[in-house]
Amino acid sequence: MRALVVYCHPRPASFNAAVRDLVLAKLQAAGAEVRLCDLYARGFDPRLTDAELAGYLDCPGNQAPVSEEVADIRWCDTLIFVYPTWWYGLPAMLKGWLDRVLLPDVAFLMPDGANKVIRPGLHHITRLGVFTTCGASWWLTRIIGAPGRRTLLRGVGFLLKPGKKAVFAAHYLMDSSTPESRARHLARVAARMDRLVGRRGAVEMERVGT
Amino acid sequence: MKALVLFAHPCEESFSASLHNVVVETLQGRGWEVDDCDLNAEGFSPVLTAAERRAYHEVGVNAAPVQGYVDRLRAAEALVLVFPVWNFGFPAILKGFFDRVFLPGVSFRLEDGDVKPNLTHIRKLVAVTTYGGTRLRALMAGDPPRHVVKRAVWHVCRPEKMRYLALYDMNRVTDDQRRRYLGAVQREMEAL
Repeated sequence: MRALVVYCHPRPASFNAAVRDLVLAKLQAAGAEVRLCDLYARGFDPRLTDAELAGYLDCPGNQAPVSEEVADIRWCDTLIFVYPTWWYGLPAMLKGWLDRVLLPDVAFLMPDGANKVIRPGLHHITRLGVFTTCGASWWLTRIIGAPGRRTLLRGVGFLLKPGKKAVFAAHYLMDSSTPESRARHLARVAARMDRLVGRRGAVEMERVGT
Repeated sequence: MKALVLFAHPCEESFSASLHNVVVETLQGRGWEVDDCDLNAEGFSPVLTAAERRAYHEVGVNAAPVQGYVDRLRAAEALVLVFPVWNFGFPAILKGFFDRVFLPGVSFRLEDGDVKPNLTHIRKLVAVTTYGGTRLRALMAGDPPRHVVKRAVWHVCRPEKMRYLALYDMNRVTDDQRRRYLGAVQREMEAL
């Protein structure tokens, strides 16, 4: 298993960092090779520029400005996102990772003579994990239509292998969270990770814990 | 009457730029005072920083790093968003405008945990956009940008008029379809 963890939060002390560390520990216990892409630490620029857009359809030249990120996504078979939900969606930093890295010939194939519509290009990815925190309640998020969740689970999910495994967990009402609610959420993340990467990791984690 | 136009495409030769021109020129022709905010040209940084995140809920302090944009937003009686849909959402530069400028105390107030609208001076809210995929594909993905505009942004403005204008399947549309869409956008701006 080769897992790419895309992590996005500006503050090192964020609860999201605890979720990230749990995800990494679960992956390690499952014997996965792991690459961590910490967008803020990397100083990633989320703006797709005039020059990049002018060369957007020029494959493979379009990959040059983000060659490291493209290599990561081509390498992995498991893709995991850990981020806070802001304004019901992905932080601009993470949205920009989608804009700049999920390029034609990398993430999808443009229409051509034989094909009339855009086709998925990430069929080598068979597992998708999405872990987030929301200031809003579950109800308000649902009323708005859960744009962030849909962007990743459906939008990006559509590009991955059909029949892939996908898991999702969110801590809602983050601003009134308690140590108990955060601990419950971490347990939920652990259970989702077990489902995503198999029980082998879980058993080893329990041994470490005892 | 003041209109704030937020434009989020980096290329001046793009179809989005044509839509942007039609929006600005038509509104000006109808007597609107237009604040034309081209986010890329202005070098707007969409990245919410650690310091901003730390002060996010401190009303009064939180807006300082983006005070100019907050003032422009507060002056607006109409808000028009002109953007392409990329990867099922706003370009990052526009998403970052919501992250950094639509702050507590600016776009909404939290009262007993409820989000209360705080941009009620914005009486007209319009989105003018284009999708690479088809309408069906946008629907299957749950159409996140449409929901954010029509529900989340709508909720903090409570405008009397709301329009979400979209042209789909941009990779295959004909010149004629693009012309008709430009005409439809122009008519909507005349009637705003």
